[in-house]
Amino acid sequence: MSHYPKKGLWTACPACGRHVHAGQWGPWQQCPYCQHWQRLTAAQRIHQLVDPDSFQALATPERPKNQLGFPGYTKKLAQAATISGLTEAVVTGTATMATWPVMLIVMDSHFMMGTLNTAVTRRITTALEQAQVQQLPVVLVTASGGARMQEGVYALVGMNLVLAAVVRLAAAKLPLITVLTDPTMGGVSASFAFKGDLVLAEAGAKIGFAGPRVIQQTMPVTLPPDFQTAASLYQQGAVDAVVVRPDLRDKLTTILAAYQCSGVTPRG
Amino acid sequence: MDDRLRRLRAADRLRAPQVIEALLPTFVAQHGDRLLGDDAALTAGFGRTAENLGLAVLGIDRGTDVASRRQKNGGAVTVPGYRTALRVVQHAAKFQLPVVSFINMPGADASPISERFNQSQAIADLIAAMGQLTVPNVAVFLGEGHSGGALAFANANRLIMLDDSLFNVASPEAVAAILHGQQTVSEAIDLLPMTAADLQQRGLVDTVIDHRQADLVAVIKQRIVTAVNELQSLSPVELIAQREAKFQAFLAQWPIN
Repeated sequence: MSHYPKKGLWTACPACGRHVHAGQWGPWQQCPYCQHWQRLTAAQRIHQLVDPDSFQALATPERPKNQLGFPGYTKKLAQAATISGLTEAVVTGTATMATWPVMLIVMDSHFMMGTLNTAVTRRITTALEQAQVQQLPVVLVTASGGARMQEGVYALVGMNLVLAAVVRLAAAKLPLITVLTDPTMGGVSASFAFKGDLVLAEAGAKIGFAGPRVIQQTMPVTLPPDFQTAASLYQQGAVDAVVVRPDLRDKLTTILAAYQCSGVTPRG
Repeated sequence: MDDRLRRLRAADRLRAPQVIEALLPTFVAQHGDRLLGDDAALTAGFGRTAENLGLAVLGIDRGTDVASRRQKNGGAVTVPGYRTALRVVQHAAKFQLPVVSFINMPGADASPISERFNQSQAIADLIAAMGQLTVPNVAVFLGEGHSGGALAFANANRLIMLDDSLFNVASPEAVAAILHGQQTVSEAIDLLPMTAADLQQRGLVDTVIDHRQADLVAVIKQRIVTAVNELQSLSPVELIAQREAKFQAFLAQWPIN
């Protein structure tokens, strides 16, 4: 489901169902009625976070392919590309935030729910390696339903391969700040999402391993309304902070200033 | 249920505790994560083979009857299980003991309590720790292993599978579910490479063992010892590099565009 139809100015809020005019969502994409934070595209997220015109995308030749001939996957990929305008579920590049240089990795739930596959794995590991070359701190914004089933074990090994790259980044003493946004589930939650030096959760985000539907298939339980929300994870000690969208750039800038990583190639 | 799945989940299936007992006549069990509790599905510890080879082991067992299956959560490892396993592999690295894991599990536990104790973090920590082990590690699939929960025990230098076991991103039931019932669970097994033969042909799995052999446990033991011996000459840095290179080589089969 795309939250951003090509035509028409009215969209239904996915949380409260009220019809919201394009202008009413405002710059932060928040429902004026129920205060639900709309899921952002990677482009919107990057625009909100970085200094104007500072984002330089990394080369990303990786394209998804239905290598295993999984039924319906080719069509799903084509639809995802049309809906999102992206070639895969993650965008990577360098930028500055209040002049602090940073490697930015932003997942996009509008491309097959941001699922981790071979191409996403390659893009993320390449960005983590490039961060070491340029001695940049990394901000990694997650938005993913987990590993992409259509690519089988090839998608699963993205979990240990990205983690191996995260360990190398740590050995290079470069900070990794993860920002968990809606949704961060499954194989992404259980690999790099919580492995940041600092883990931030965006207000309203659903974060967890097994989602409510899967749990309720296993056992008949009533889940509390705040189950797997950013706020409950903060209370439980799983994340360092819950950040509302308009504050995220300032929060990240403060963190980058505290680490004082200037990079080896001056940018911006 | 599909015949292949029934075999993997049968009560008389070869179980991790049986293999560990035969492998390590001298065995010291390690229990509990020191914070939350213990996981009955996990048999963990260290010991010595009859030939005096020191090994650490992690074995996941689903249980054989209603009572033991309930106690072991059907082999769905919980947060204390991953964290106990983490303790055991850290201990193994300290005492230079190669780590052998035995896998037959449905996937990670889906429950409010596992979410409450952040099983995401527990799984990620074990995957990362297995990847960075400075001693050899070998994973043996005695049955099935799916999702990140199984990967946490399978991020190893060598993968060994019984010929009828399965390893996938998700259970065959979950694969069938995303196809909205257009394919049966049996058909789902063949839609993705998850059988031992397929994964060996694709280079992810190193050794496949015929499960019908009369001396199956002895064969498994021999394959483990062979794999460990092959890896003993590698330095800690080489072991970490070999492990990552193994999975990178597998990923590299998927064309970039």
